[in-house]
Amino acid sequence: MNAAHLKLVSAPDPGRRQRAHFCGHCGAPPITLPAPRVCNRCGLGLVLEADAELAPAPGAAFLTVDRALTVCGMSGAAESLLHITEVDAVDRPLAEFLISADGGGSAHSLVALILGATSGAQDGEVAIVRPPDEFGVRYRVRIGACGPPQAALLVFDP
Amino acid sequence: MSPNTLRAWERRFGYPHPQRSPGKHRLYTHGEVAALRDALQEGLSISSAVSRAREALTADTNSLVSAIAGFELERADAAMEAALALRSVERSVEEVLLPSLHEIGDRHGFDSAPWAFAARWAGGWLQRAQRLAPAPQRPGAILIGDATRDELDAEALSMHALELFCLRAGARVLPLPVLGVAGLGDVVSAFGPNAVVIAGRHAQDDEVARWAYTVRSVAGPLPMALFLRSREARRTMASGTRSLADSPGDAQRQVLALAETHHATVGAERVAAFPARDSLRRAAARRTMSA
Repeated sequence: MNAAHLKLVSAPDPGRRQRAHFCGHCGAPPITLPAPRVCNRCGLGLVLEADAELAPAPGAAFLTVDRALTVCGMSGAAESLLHITEVDAVDRPLAEFLISADGGGSAHSLVALILGATSGAQDGEVAIVRPPDEFGVRYRVRIGACGPPQAALLVFDP
Repeated sequence: MSPNTLRAWERRFGYPHPQRSPGKHRLYTHGEVAALRDALQEGLSISSAVSRAREALTADTNSLVSAIAGFELERADAAMEAALALRSVERSVEEVLLPSLHEIGDRHGFDSAPWAFAARWAGGWLQRAQRLAPAPQRPGAILIGDATRDELDAEALSMHALELFCLRAGARVLPLPVLGVAGLGDVVSAFGPNAVVIAGRHAQDDEVARWAYTVRSVAGPLPMALFLRSREARRTMASGTRSLADSPGDAQRQVLALAETHHATVGAERVAAFPARDSLRRAAARRTMSA
């Protein structure tokens, strides 16, 4: 009889972050787990996963952006905030809707944060942005990874 | 996924875009649903998934255009086969064949050799599809007055598509050129149409009017409709002539409704005109059954 053999496994990571599911349109968590692909509350968004600290609250404004920096999704609240529907915004460059409003004026910082989030290297970073054709309007956004598929999540802080 | 979700997507995103059954139920094609299912796995939002699904569906059109532009008949047939794997014949014609042909026409001109090549192939494909149509099972019969120039007229393809759709819906269909009036009465009398469609804008209004007058003088006051013919042409036609939708699928539903309404009206008038004969027939039938 073969002796039971031991297998080396990694120790549970005490610092591992909690993940949360949310709808890409209404921001609410799914009613049931395991999470369905399509939100079973509003039916208008795909269920995405992100770090629990980053995940938007129900009804929050947020965007999803891919590594080509094009808008892939937009919550209902973000539609109201930016005065555009998701249908019109999808597949258009993020820069048409938001640009960096850092004091240093570095447009690269926003791009770097988004690319870092899409690669999973950075999570929970904060940036100040503004609409490209409006001055005096500033939004504070938290940027991190979400998916699937892997993308950047920009959550507008209230 | 619930039906309510699909209906909500149809309202918000315009996709999926179902056809309707005669009972007004939504009919989704396998291609639309499969493309959407795949896109949902890869997308980050319903909007982006819908955008991907639409792109996937236009791939068949691109494939057909590429085959025709390369003068490759077998590849063109294969592109239509691929389209038919995901859609009904009607949607394959409306969403793949006709748009592809129009793209060829727009690229090279509707009087060019590439257009002639494409139009001949498409006309042949539609004729083959007509031969596979089921036997007539509907009461309505539709007479189509062909007012197109010839087989290379861009509108001739849409007319053949309308003919195919009506045949596939189980109606009897007879296309006749509007320039041929000699002996028309005999043909119309034998065919017994319930609706007449004038298709195409090449023939002159007076030629069409003469043809329509001959038809009506034999078959009586039939519902008449214009397909791909200018709305001004209605002035030269009898009052009540209506214009059908430019889409062959929508036009088919309209003309079938016209034909069936006329068929039912004529049937009711016949019973009203000969009630005694009808009651005698029913009594005879009862006697036969009791015997």
